Amino acid sequence: MTFTLDRRGFLRSAAATGGLMTLPGLVSMAQAQDITPGGTLRVALNITPSVLNPMLLRLNSEYLLAEMLYSSLTMLSPDMTAAPDLATEWSASADATEWRFTLREGVTFSNGEPLTSADVVASFTKLLDPETAAPGSRNLGPISEVVADGDFAVIIRTATPYADLPVALTYPTAKIVPASVIEADFDSLGQTPVGSGPFRLVEFIADDRAIVEKNPDYYVEGQPYLDRVEVRTFPDAAGAAAAMLAGEVDLLTEIQPTDFARIAAGEGIEGMRTPSGRFLDVVMDCTVAPFDNPKVREALSCCVDREAMVELVAEGYGTPGNDSPVNASYAYFSDAPLKQYDPEKSKALLAEAGYPDGIEIDLVASVKPDYRSAMAVVLREMAKPGGWTINVKTMDHPTYLDQVWKKGAFYVGYYNMQPTEGTIFNLLFTSEASWNETRWNNAEFDALVAKADATTDTAERSELYAEAQKLMREEVPALVPCFFDLLGARGQNVMGYEQNPRGANFALHKVWLEAGS
Amino acid sequence: MKTLRALLRNPQGAAGLALCALVMFAALFGPALAPKDPEAFNFGARFAGPSAEFPLGTDWYGRDLLSRILVGAQSTVLLALLATFIGTAAGALIGVVSGYLGGVVDEILMRLTDALMAIPSLLFALMILAALGSSALNAVLAIGIAFTPGMARIARSVTLQVRSFDYVAAAKARGESLAWIVGAEILPNTIAPVIVEGTIRVAFAIMTLATLSFLGLGAQPPAPEWGLMIAEARDHLFRSPWPVAVPGAAIAIVAIGFNLLGDGLRDVLNPRTGDHA
Amino acid sequence: MSASFLLRRLAYLALTAFLVSLIVFGVTQLLPANAATMILGEYATPEALAALNERLGLDQPAIVQYGNWLGNAIQGDFGVSLRTSQPVGPSIMAAFGRSAMLAALSLTLVCLIAIPLGVVAGTRRGGPADLGLSVVSYLGVSLPEFVLATLLLARLAGPSVGLFPASGYTPFSEDPVAALRHMALPVITLAVILTAHISRMVRSEMVDTLQSDFVRAARLRGLSKRQVIYNHALRNSMLPAITVIALDVGYLIGGVIVVEEVFAFPGIGRQLILAIQNRDLPMLQAGALIMALTYALANLAADLAYAALDKRIQYK
Repeated sequence: MTFTLDRRGFLRSAAATGGLMTLPGLVSMAQAQDITPGGTLRVALNITPSVLNPMLLRLNSEYLLAEMLYSSLTMLSPDMTAAPDLATEWSASADATEWRFTLREGVTFSNGEPLTSADVVASFTKLLDPETAAPGSRNLGPISEVVADGDFAVIIRTATPYADLPVALTYPTAKIVPASVIEADFDSLGQTPVGSGPFRLVEFIADDRAIVEKNPDYYVEGQPYLDRVEVRTFPDAAGAAAAMLAGEVDLLTEIQPTDFARIAAGEGIEGMRTPSGRFLDVVMDCTVAPFDNPKVREALSCCVDREAMVELVAEGYGTPGNDSPVNASYAYFSDAPLKQYDPEKSKALLAEAGYPDGIEIDLVASVKPDYRSAMAVVLREMAKPGGWTINVKTMDHPTYLDQVWKKGAFYVGYYNMQPTEGTIFNLLFTSEASWNETRWNNAEFDALVAKADATTDTAERSELYAEAQKLMREEVPALVPCFFDLLGARGQNVMGYEQNPRGANFALHKVWLEAGS
Repeated sequence: MKTLRALLRNPQGAAGLALCALVMFAALFGPALAPKDPEAFNFGARFAGPSAEFPLGTDWYGRDLLSRILVGAQSTVLLALLATFIGTAAGALIGVVSGYLGGVVDEILMRLTDALMAIPSLLFALMILAALGSSALNAVLAIGIAFTPGMARIARSVTLQVRSFDYVAAAKARGESLAWIVGAEILPNTIAPVIVEGTIRVAFAIMTLATLSFLGLGAQPPAPEWGLMIAEARDHLFRSPWPVAVPGAAIAIVAIGFNLLGDGLRDVLNPRTGDHA
Repeated sequence: MSASFLLRRLAYLALTAFLVSLIVFGVTQLLPANAATMILGEYATPEALAALNERLGLDQPAIVQYGNWLGNAIQGDFGVSLRTSQPVGPSIMAAFGRSAMLAALSLTLVCLIAIPLGVVAGTRRGGPADLGLSVVSYLGVSLPEFVLATLLLARLAGPSVGLFPASGYTPFSEDPVAALRHMALPVITLAVILTAHISRMVRSEMVDTLQSDFVRAARLRGLSKRQVIYNHALRNSMLPAITVIALDVGYLIGGVIVVEEVFAFPGIGRQLILAIQNRDLPMLQAGALIMALTYALANLAADLAYAALDKRIQYK
């Protein structure tokens, strides 16, 4: 038996297999009367993109550029489901270990070569090759094999069952490039992009600008609407914000919480705000004292006034967290009453754990982004009455990455939202997680996540993920005090831009500029 | 005593002395004087203007600005004094030794100080901090090192005068060691001009220390260091002017105090009109 | 002034440049993390780090790295930025050009304001103008640039006032008016503080000159006060002013770093801070070198100008 999967239940999944109704091309044609094609969109980035090779991207700014030049098998929708891109439809075996993706026909790369299954196989082989050292290749799931099934279909097998594969394949580095380029000179992609995306590169000057123009052969008819996109890069948020306020750019994809109100109030500017699963957490090494004692971790979790944290650290542009990285932006969020601020309970728990006089400890926070240290300072104050003396140590980002991250016992982490519960858990909290910084190594949690990964039944997955979230709330391998909204701004004439809560997808091919402005 | 009386007759000196005494009092007893806990949040009073409860207003966490300034005086003023002391002591030692020994040693040391003085001092401090990492104490060290070449120059020129005096020749004739001659005969006689120069530099040290903290390379949050307070306040600049204006005024008052005192001392101790760095 | 004097000065210049490059290089060797850590960020694995270090040449002994850099730099090749993978030379020169524009505008403004102010105060010693100037200049000398810059930003660029853009930069070639508006606040900040410095200096020189023998002699000869000031005193006071302005170039460079940071102006100061934050050694080297050389050249130019104006000074 084969079936098509979708994370949001049966109705949606039926639509996806019925497929044609949700194809972007048809949707766009339905709206065609309102859309005025043409024009140049100017986008500001606040982190300089420096890597062009699509498999080696690391930053949201690089994702934005690559998304315009390349295509993937699937595309991440703002509701965190997989939409067709180069793959028009897909299905899985009953145990979710073998997947068949049907490829779109008639797609050509910018070098004129037609896309076939050989290109997809070569791309994944390169991507998964440890020699390539592609960032985040582990986020693609336990892929064991990718083989062609005729010219226009591929079979992807996974070592263990993996129900989220179509969503995982939206990972920003999982781009499809021609097999010939991979064989001849893979490194040339660092200078000369060859892709099948909606735009083509005209000019790229790192630290200054990238200019792309419409790909006339793009496989979705009518798209992209824009003739040209100019990406202007600024070394930090202040420069990008200034350009937006001065009307020098039309779209700002990221804004610091402290700047948002001021920019959104600018003339001709619309602020954009979308709740997201992006979070700051306070990482505790669960293998060393004092955090090897669950009571100590629970004590600290009693010291967080979560609503106040949203107000003080995220300027109110966020949602309180409950010590699990999953919030309402995810499909399988399991709601629970918000943990209450109770410093007395913290004191009692510390006494029980053998610390009747409280705990004094250093908390490390990198200076990038600056709300990391803000959270550390706020936590220090909140935890004082609970018997904690937290000394905040701020340090510059390279030193933090080199000496503290994944090594330290107590520090502030900062993570993007991931497309699925499985990806965020397997990135940070399972024993085999790529970045297992808490060393929580909880067998029960591992089993729950593995089982949910392998399960295709929505109701059952919902239960398993709920259990996993409950376990994290109780055991507190890390404090997750608050989530940050995705904040951005657009000129009033910029239409069709939808913020994707994941923060790594932009869909600029769906954007148009309102005529007469 | 004579100096002090002369200083009090000099209008600049008297005003400077008064301001500096006030500042030193705040720096030494600030924590005891602070009416509130400088780190305590007041959720209901964020961005408050001056009031009976918060005489200088509050910041974005509702922390009392007066208390933060008073407690921060320690890390700002005392550290600036320490930085100046390091630069002055190291510079005086190098200058005296160089001036006394003369010859090749002098030539090498002076060419080196020439080269180092050709680096703008903020840039020099930035480079040292890039190496040592960002912290308040490293900033102190960086400023001390950046001050050293200038002080060495001044100490050397004074030493060249002192060296020719009889008592130095006498000590040499007695066969005293180099360390004794420099320590007991020459250093004490170069101290007055060095102190004048040092006092003027305190003002500069305070401003540089605050600037380094402002650039994120000095004191780190949540320290109530004045420059850092302004840097942090930038995020909330358009919501309330007090978190910027209050530490800004504090820095200016201290710097004015030491500038006045330095100018006054210079008039009193060596009445040539010199330059200021 | 002889050719040997000039040669010796140029030799010092080279020594300074060499020492600066050595210090900057030494600095980055002491750091715990290098550019490769920063480039790979959270995706660094030991293998990826090793590979990147090899590609960037960061795995070689420090002395070899320095030798390579020096050899190339002498030929005018400053290498490739580790942060942006673009050649350092063109981007640092472009940033330097933008900063130079800030500095030139500030200095022009300062000369137009500070010198007349200093002269007026010096000739009417103890008068209200003198008193006013000395109070204001004490304030100016004692106020760090970043405090003034931040206060100006809050008062003149806030959402309610909006007199000037809070930050950023527009090239002159695109829109001269916008370019000037963007530079207004940084230039005002620098000018106010430099004016405090220089007017104080001009004033005290004026006072000294007016008390000097030759001015008194001129007065005794029956020349009017006005004639004395314009024909004698002013010219003699200008000489130290030139030195002060040259010395203040060092101060100006520090100021430029700060105002560029506050107003997000893409000049060389901001490049330098970014290079420090990102462990971008080639950029840091080039930036620090250009700043130090600018300062050294300004001093040399001041000495030459001084010598040209004042025939009494003889250089060996």
